[in-house]
Amino acid sequence: MLSDAERTRYSRQILLFGEEGQKRLKKTVVFLAGAGGLGSAMAFYLAAAGFGRIRIVDCDQVDLSNLNRQILHGVSDLNRDKALSAHDALMGLNSEIEVDALVETMTEENIDRLVQGCDIIMDGMDSFAARYMLNRAALKSRIPLFHGAISGYNGQATTVVPARTACLRCIFPRAPPTSVFPALGSTCGVIGSIAVTEAVKYVTGTGRLLENRLVLWDGKNACLDELACERNPLCPDCSSLYPSDPSDKRSDG
Amino acid sequence: MLIVMPDGSRRMMEAEGSRIEDILNSLGINPVEVIVAINGRIVSEEETAGESDELKIVRFVHGG
Repeated sequence: MLSDAERTRYSRQILLFGEEGQKRLKKTVVFLAGAGGLGSAMAFYLAAAGFGRIRIVDCDQVDLSNLNRQILHGVSDLNRDKALSAHDALMGLNSEIEVDALVETMTEENIDRLVQGCDIIMDGMDSFAARYMLNRAALKSRIPLFHGAISGYNGQATTVVPARTACLRCIFPRAPPTSVFPALGSTCGVIGSIAVTEAVKYVTGTGRLLENRLVLWDGKNACLDELACERNPLCPDCSSLYPSDPSDKRSDG
Repeated sequence: MLIVMPDGSRRMMEAEGSRIEDILNSLGINPVEVIVAINGRIVSEEETAGESDELKIVRFVHGG
């Protein structure tokens, strides 16, 4: 049920997907990996949209050099745990929802426990090592994963639905070398917004998802491009869990 | 074939039947840092490209 206050708060988006869609958002438990630049944009729009419960995980503390893009945090949050700072920022925006703040490092050992009970996973991470971990957890638990990544003016996004689409490893078989990346808050905003739009569409059953499509944002030239992708029948992460579609002739042996 | 480089510049290259990995190496691009699409579809670096194909090389990003 939605309260009168919720009907009013969400009235402009209820025009998009009805009270039924809003109730679905309210029932959704989100796993948000990271409260950095991307995680900040994702977190605010998830909370504003009324996703009922957000479990936000980050092990870092707020640094002055974060504040150009990590809009969950302010000067008064310096040196605080980002997860706790995120909790306070989101509660300030929307106290109708619940936010679980976990100051933890995601590892192969705890990732399955961390995502347990969640309906969707948002990728606000800053390395492919962490993303592959999220990807495997999403596949194992059969939870959709909304991927985003940024560097400078550039960003990318895609939606992974286990068994139905290419997984992150199908699209990016190998991690690029790690490096300090330039980061602009507004690029995080573009990509984080795309990822949350995908999550809203998935949960409310509206629109056409970024399934088997990788969107590429080039902010320097103000260009949005799209590439098609498909499942890799030999993918080390998804092929054994979800064999390819039997209608696919290549998998008939 | 037409090759779209990571910086958006375009160049023609004669590489009929060449493996993507070999094309990247000849262009001095580390295959680990890019994904490659032939005619708009992401392909593995083991695939080969034909003369009439458009090959797009994209430097994907990893930050967050």
